[in-house]
Amino acid sequence: MSSSSGQSSGYDLSFKILLIGDSAVGKSSLLVSFISNSAEDIAPTIGVDFKIKMLTVGGKRLKLTIWDTAGQERFRTLTSSYYRGAQGIILVYDVTRRDTFTNLSLVWSKEVELYSTNQNCVKMLVGNKVDRDSERVVSKEEGLALAEELGCLFFECSAKTRENVERCFEELALKIMEVPSLLEEGSTAVKRNILKQQQQPQASEFGGCCS
Amino acid sequence: MEEEQQTFVSKARTAFHSAAAKAERVLLDFKSDREDHDKQSSPNTFTGQQPEAESPHTDENDSKLHSESKHIKWRPPHLGIKQDWQDKIKNIRRGRKEVEDTDKVGDASMAIPFYDDNLYLLNVKNDLEAKASEAMPSVEGLTAATKDPIPPSSVLKQLAIAVEAGSKAKSMKDVIASPGGSSPARERAGLSLSAVKALVLREKEDKLTSEFTSNEKVVQLINSLFDPEGDFLRRKIDSNLEETAMTSLPRDIHGAPPESLVVKLAEILGNYKTLRKMALFWCRVVAELRKLWFEEQYLPGVPQDEIPDLKSCLLYQQFQVINCCISRKRFRIIATESLDSMMMQANSDIKESTDCSAEASASPVLYARLNSGELVLRLGADHPAGDMTLLETGEPVYSPITQEGPLLTEDLIRETEEFVLRTGSVGAGCSQLLSDMQAFKAANPGCILEDFVRWHSPPDWTDNEASTEDSDVFDSGEPLSARGQLSRRMQKEGNLWRELWETSKPVPAVKQAPLFDEDLAVEGILNAFEEMHPSDLFGQLFVSLLGLGFGIAEPMLSGNSDFSKLFYDCKEYIITACQNNKLNEKVDGLVQVYETVEKMLLNPEEALKMIKQTEESTTVTGEPRSPFKRLSLIFGGKDKLLRKSVSKDQTNDEEKSGRQSFSSFFDSKSSLFGKKPPKSGSPSPSEKSSIDTGWPVV
Repeated sequence: MSSSSGQSSGYDLSFKILLIGDSAVGKSSLLVSFISNSAEDIAPTIGVDFKIKMLTVGGKRLKLTIWDTAGQERFRTLTSSYYRGAQGIILVYDVTRRDTFTNLSLVWSKEVELYSTNQNCVKMLVGNKVDRDSERVVSKEEGLALAEELGCLFFECSAKTRENVERCFEELALKIMEVPSLLEEGSTAVKRNILKQQQQPQASEFGGCCS
Repeated sequence: MEEEQQTFVSKARTAFHSAAAKAERVLLDFKSDREDHDKQSSPNTFTGQQPEAESPHTDENDSKLHSESKHIKWRPPHLGIKQDWQDKIKNIRRGRKEVEDTDKVGDASMAIPFYDDNLYLLNVKNDLEAKASEAMPSVEGLTAATKDPIPPSSVLKQLAIAVEAGSKAKSMKDVIASPGGSSPARERAGLSLSAVKALVLREKEDKLTSEFTSNEKVVQLINSLFDPEGDFLRRKIDSNLEETAMTSLPRDIHGAPPESLVVKLAEILGNYKTLRKMALFWCRVVAELRKLWFEEQYLPGVPQDEIPDLKSCLLYQQFQVINCCISRKRFRIIATESLDSMMMQANSDIKESTDCSAEASASPVLYARLNSGELVLRLGADHPAGDMTLLETGEPVYSPITQEGPLLTEDLIRETEEFVLRTGSVGAGCSQLLSDMQAFKAANPGCILEDFVRWHSPPDWTDNEASTEDSDVFDSGEPLSARGQLSRRMQKEGNLWRELWETSKPVPAVKQAPLFDEDLAVEGILNAFEEMHPSDLFGQLFVSLLGLGFGIAEPMLSGNSDFSKLFYDCKEYIITACQNNKLNEKVDGLVQVYETVEKMLLNPEEALKMIKQTEESTTVTGEPRSPFKRLSLIFGGKDKLLRKSVSKDQTNDEEKSGRQSFSSFFDSKSSLFGKKPPKSGSPSPSEKSSIDTGWPVV
């Protein structure tokens, strides 16, 4: 049993996902909605936070470590450390606030270019809060155009109604698995973790959420 | 009874002589060492000793009387020899043959190690001196080498040798401590002799080390390397053409920028001929880094105020941190002095009077007026925050001077991330937020949480439409909620922001406990430098120098129709090889690739012949070969045996890296020498497996 790599750890691949974007666009709500079906207001993130989700997609069992970052400018140096090694990056904007969309190309795509160490990482543009259609100021067509310009996948969703939330993360995971170097990184991470567990048989696996 | 007594006496005498012989050997060893030391100043003295060393052999062939006269003639000044002579006289008086035989054996054993020691040490000295005079790099030598377009491949090869040799060493200290080979004289000596020898050799090694570090050439190299104004090791780099390529290649291979301190260090170390000297020079560099940090001087060839570039090698990141910490310390000194002088000014103002005229004259001192009419000094205020005003007092809002976040190199980022994953700690974010709150309070007396949120997190505040009539609203004394309100998420119960706000005290940033301790960080880096494993150091230097050579060569060869294709294949090869792990196993292949590029630059005709020969061999075979095999023909010529891996994981990793390298060649649109492209886009599984089997691991 322990000799089998997949069996002992309970998953086949391990990927790191990063959520970035302006403050209050709904990054934390998006993550909590994906993890636990919750849709309540979440206090502003202080620095960074993370949640772990087990997912089965494309016939593979995945462990996603999803890092949530504070969008305020004062936290930018702190959050820049967490771009390192991420296989997937989600850039989030609020469809009811145009400045959050504008800042994707003014600020956040430049941050990715500067701090990401993974040239092949998969990027996804996500427009949140589509449940407030009466207040929408950024059209879907504009989002699609920017995604194409930045080389990103594109989804519109609502953390509140959970529209498209699961699909976002699943689609991102599938795209990551299509990149050979990222796939190898994902399996290497699993092997490394198995090795650690074997060295410390008493330690229990830390797989739970933290909030 | 008599027999027993005789046996006892003879045993005692034998033991006594044996002990005496050992003592004499030790004394002789010390004397021979002194003589060797004297040899440097007076070679004749050493030469004069040789006849004495030879004479013990002669004793065995002479008669007793003749040997007696020889002893008198040749060894009167030495106490040991005199004692030996006296012992022999006593033995002759007793007329015991057995004792005489013992003495002769003692003579033989004494003479041989003495003789070998002298010759051995003499040879060692000669070798060391010869090597030192021949191989020691100098500023002049390296400066002359910069006339070559790219660093010589011999320098890169030396670094490759160091990478491979370093991977077998346990630590840098082991490299410095090993003189290479055990002493045959030591093996021949007894236990006590080996102990004495070890002490003597250790002293000698200390001498050699101090001699190296104080060597004039070494001192000059260190001075040139760290000269901020000098142009040491600067080459003509065509920066106009393909600027993007010049800056992107070092980052693609995780090297260092051209003409940075790392690259220059690589070129110097690659010119030393022994691993030990390379290690000694590195220790000398670390000592210089400590000195510069102590004096708060910037490292040349490294940006002065940039956070670590995670795409460069770790060594370069660490150099960046050192310079960044120097910048921060300088800034803090200025900010602290500025704050202190402002407070002294404020105190003197208070002593004079509270008149309006005094207040007006104290322009550099900033005050805020509370609702009670009291004036409070603003501490650590940087600049006005737009046209914002405090909600309760109406005073202008000032952005405070804030502390900067931690400077993390890639290894510390990994540790931090693992720590957060393990503990769920949000400490780093909270510490920074608390620090910002305290600085904001110090700069804005009379402020409330809502003021801070408006400054730090604007989306969490919503102004009311009535805000356009601020003055009227304020004068009328309407409640706070009329001005605007916090976001719903910020108003939640148990919100950590409010708890931190109520905890925070007004303390300007320069007076706070540091979020990031520069002294601690740099001390950690310098200690890591001293403990750095040789393969880690030389591996990074190897990759950095490789990047420099290719970066310089690219604009020269990219426009050349004969060589551009081969050059770009070589470049792709090194990027793929460097991005994988296990650099140790690839350095030989990378050196060969580099030699190919060097040949294209220095001997273009020969390189052209090589390409044509490769084409002809391909044509003769009549089969299109895989691009990798052609590269092997060009770079190798040698059939290297597949290296056996100890563990299965390593085998799998090698196979994967091999496949990855292989697939990258097929992915490229144009194959080598496009005249005969492969028939199919990718090989069939059987072909692929056969190719893998025959694949030489470069």
